[in-house]
Amino acid sequence: MRLWWSLVFGVTMLACFLLVVVAACVPSLKWWLPDPVSTHAHHIDALFYLILAVTGFFFVLTEALLVWFMYRYGAGDKPATDADFPKLFKPFTKYLDSQHKIELGWTILPAAILLFLAFFQISVWAEAKYASRRGEMFKDATPLQVAVVARQFEWRIRYPSSYRLEQWLKLGKNFEQDEDFKNFAKVKSPEDVESVNELHLWKGHPMLVQLTTADVIHSFNLPHFRVKQDALPGRILQVWFTAKKANMTQLALDSDAKTDSPTDKADDKNRWDLACAELCGWGHYRMVGRVLVHETQDDFMSWLRAKEKEEHGRVSAKK
Amino acid sequence: MSVSHSQAPALHAHHEPGFLGKYIFSTDHKIIGIQFLFTSMIFLALGGLLALLVRIQLAWPHSEIPLIKHWFENNAGRISESFYNMSFTMHASVMIFFVIIPFLTGAFGNFTIPLMIGARDMAFPMLNMMSYWVMWPAFVLITLSFTVPGGAASSGWTAYPLLSTLGIAAPGSNMGQVLWLASLLCVGVGSMMGSVNYITTIINMRAPGMTLFRMPMTIWAMFITAILQAFALPVLTVTLIFQLLDKTIGTTFFLPPEGVTIGNYYTGVGGGQTLLWQHLFWFYSHPAVYIMILPAMGMVSDIISTFSRRPLFGYRAMVYSISGIAGLGFIVWGHHMFQSGMDPRLGTGFMIATIMIALPSAVKVFNWLGTVFQGNLQYTSAMLFALAFVSLFIIGGLSGIFMAATPVDIFIHDTYFIVAHIHYVLFTSSLFGIYAAIYFWFPKMFARFMNETWGKIHFTLTFILGNCTFFPMHILGTAGMRRRIPDVTAAVNEESLLMLNQFISISALLLGLAQLIFFANFFGSLFFGKKCTERNPWHSNTLDWTTPTPAGHGNFDVIPNVFHGPYEYGQFKDRTEDYLPQDVKYEGPTPNEGH
Repeated sequence: MRLWWSLVFGVTMLACFLLVVVAACVPSLKWWLPDPVSTHAHHIDALFYLILAVTGFFFVLTEALLVWFMYRYGAGDKPATDADFPKLFKPFTKYLDSQHKIELGWTILPAAILLFLAFFQISVWAEAKYASRRGEMFKDATPLQVAVVARQFEWRIRYPSSYRLEQWLKLGKNFEQDEDFKNFAKVKSPEDVESVNELHLWKGHPMLVQLTTADVIHSFNLPHFRVKQDALPGRILQVWFTAKKANMTQLALDSDAKTDSPTDKADDKNRWDLACAELCGWGHYRMVGRVLVHETQDDFMSWLRAKEKEEHGRVSAKK
Repeated sequence: MSVSHSQAPALHAHHEPGFLGKYIFSTDHKIIGIQFLFTSMIFLALGGLLALLVRIQLAWPHSEIPLIKHWFENNAGRISESFYNMSFTMHASVMIFFVIIPFLTGAFGNFTIPLMIGARDMAFPMLNMMSYWVMWPAFVLITLSFTVPGGAASSGWTAYPLLSTLGIAAPGSNMGQVLWLASLLCVGVGSMMGSVNYITTIINMRAPGMTLFRMPMTIWAMFITAILQAFALPVLTVTLIFQLLDKTIGTTFFLPPEGVTIGNYYTGVGGGQTLLWQHLFWFYSHPAVYIMILPAMGMVSDIISTFSRRPLFGYRAMVYSISGIAGLGFIVWGHHMFQSGMDPRLGTGFMIATIMIALPSAVKVFNWLGTVFQGNLQYTSAMLFALAFVSLFIIGGLSGIFMAATPVDIFIHDTYFIVAHIHYVLFTSSLFGIYAAIYFWFPKMFARFMNETWGKIHFTLTFILGNCTFFPMHILGTAGMRRRIPDVTAAVNEESLLMLNQFISISALLLGLAQLIFFANFFGSLFFGKKCTERNPWHSNTLDWTTPTPAGHGNFDVIPNVFHGPYEYGQFKDRTEDYLPQDVKYEGPTPNEGH
């Protein structure tokens, strides 16, 4: 029976291991991390793979030992002695008689690995979320600022008018001092442009989202961008990221005129969701918007002007 | 430390209580433990059925639901979204508050503590009885909540405001949520009564010679768990009352100053903080995660040592580990809130504490492996579940590191990766520990054995199907599938996962069926199982096995004297047996002292 039970354990654990390998190595299944399309996404993915490697090693080590022990020391066999050890472990067996030393060993080693893992995360976390560090992403440019209000069950996204945006972009790195820029999230201007469930931006330029919710908690979740931030009632939180890839080609823009559905705009492979990640009621699952990244600033501006025309009947200009 | 004899209500041989006094309104800790055991099993079945509803919906999101489709006539026979939300909310609430915690601390805490420390009963038998009977209002309220208008609570077991506090936001957030809160309050009061009782009993009522470091790991784990409950429960109680007041008399603990608007409905001004609930709730519920695993760890340690015929490796390290887990457990609650809007710099601190809590868990795993090493393993059903606990707790422990790491958590937070993690810890670890304990202590409880063949069939199916059900959820999460959604085709990156979801659901349905074997074996063995007349059928060392089978009210013939630790298994110079019960005097060198 000891063979049977070690097989039950061993084969099941092997199957789990193989499932991870298959999911990671067969991209056509789409069972693995979605395409990273923001500038910081690959930093997060690298940490994911680092943790996967460390945990994978300890998974294999401990499960293999357990299965081997289950087979080797199953009842019915002669009582085991130290002499049964494979030669490989010889250097270590002398410590087995001293629980104190071996305990010390397998406490200090994992502690060192865990501490390393913990401190190694901090810089990427700071890069993604610390307000004090977001200047590095904005560098000298004024970010594209939008205000996002989540509500049951949609995303309302407010853009500055094209004229206002152009004024901001001229500010360069001084944008933080600009009153108009700072007040955007709180003060709604009649010239602003609103869209529902469509988040537009352009490639290579940082975006600053002023996030809040009109009702319950929602979560602003862009899986492809490795961005997630809950939206809290009564508070405006900032989210920032930069797209590394575009999914709105001119072709898609042209076909835009023929259909209203945002799902048809980008081709299937490049559909990036803005999917609410915090339970917010019966429609939570379908509180899904799209992220549409334009190739250039000009493309974005022409979309914004077209949208302005559609909403206000004219394109904004200096008064 | 002085060790007092328990003179508690034992030895009333002259007036044998009637059926009601003996089995229903009993102050005997063993009977109270068995009462908890039975009610937890009933709720296990209910929670399991709710889980199957969730799984059916996820695998076949656009199909009619079999058998109960007439409930959903105005939704074309499909489960409605609100019903789905209610199902997973109640699945989690039932499993956590009415199954895992009552099983571990209620059933096995009650049953094992006096028996294993050599006491005649708990320190406060009447309080012990009340700790069970105060659960009954909770049972009634939570069951009734399914029938009120709007249905039972549907805002997740975490009940985040404002979804849970505004009746207009979700149908379950009306009377259903009120009953949910009231029910949990009763559970909390019951747990608090138990906790006080366990701490007092373990500190004051140990048999002579039972020093703290001669206590079995089960008792250490129950002791630490009781301390965790004593410190964490008041916070839960407070926050439940806050939400109850918000819902009933219109306070605004969680409503922001300017209020919110849903459709045309304006809540009016508030004055509170939405995040307050999350902080208070997780300040309880993170330690609660350890409340749900430590007792299982303790029992598994004893079972593995018994059936390996080997001393538990690193006993003291094990004690320090669970104490470490308990201590760190109070400063890691923020890891549930990395993406919540809490200051990210605070998140960094919580991350370091959280990653370091993996250390005592790792030490425990190595110690279990050290115990099995060079043992003489006896593959009983109890041992198999205990070994599976170790094997699968490794997965649950390792996957925890992903979400403890704040940057990686940005991606996997609120995905199925979390669902996979919690089920590896609560199903394949805690529940496996509970199964192991049931197979192990069944003879002492009912003086009959459970059927071993059926036990092993139950084990094999549960082990394989449990992994088939929960392991692929890691893949779902890695691919970005969100939790708490009824339809994976709603977002494009989730569509590719439908097939994997169907595989999981079929495994889950079979897993559910396999548990029927357990229920049949349990109740069959209760009446027709092989009789156990021996005091110590497993040749174990701890004091519970020195009592008559079944133990009467008062447990011991005479209060035993304790001479050794509980893990003296192996070769003795002048003993033919390979074990040394704690109450047997033996002068020679013992296996455990060799280390």
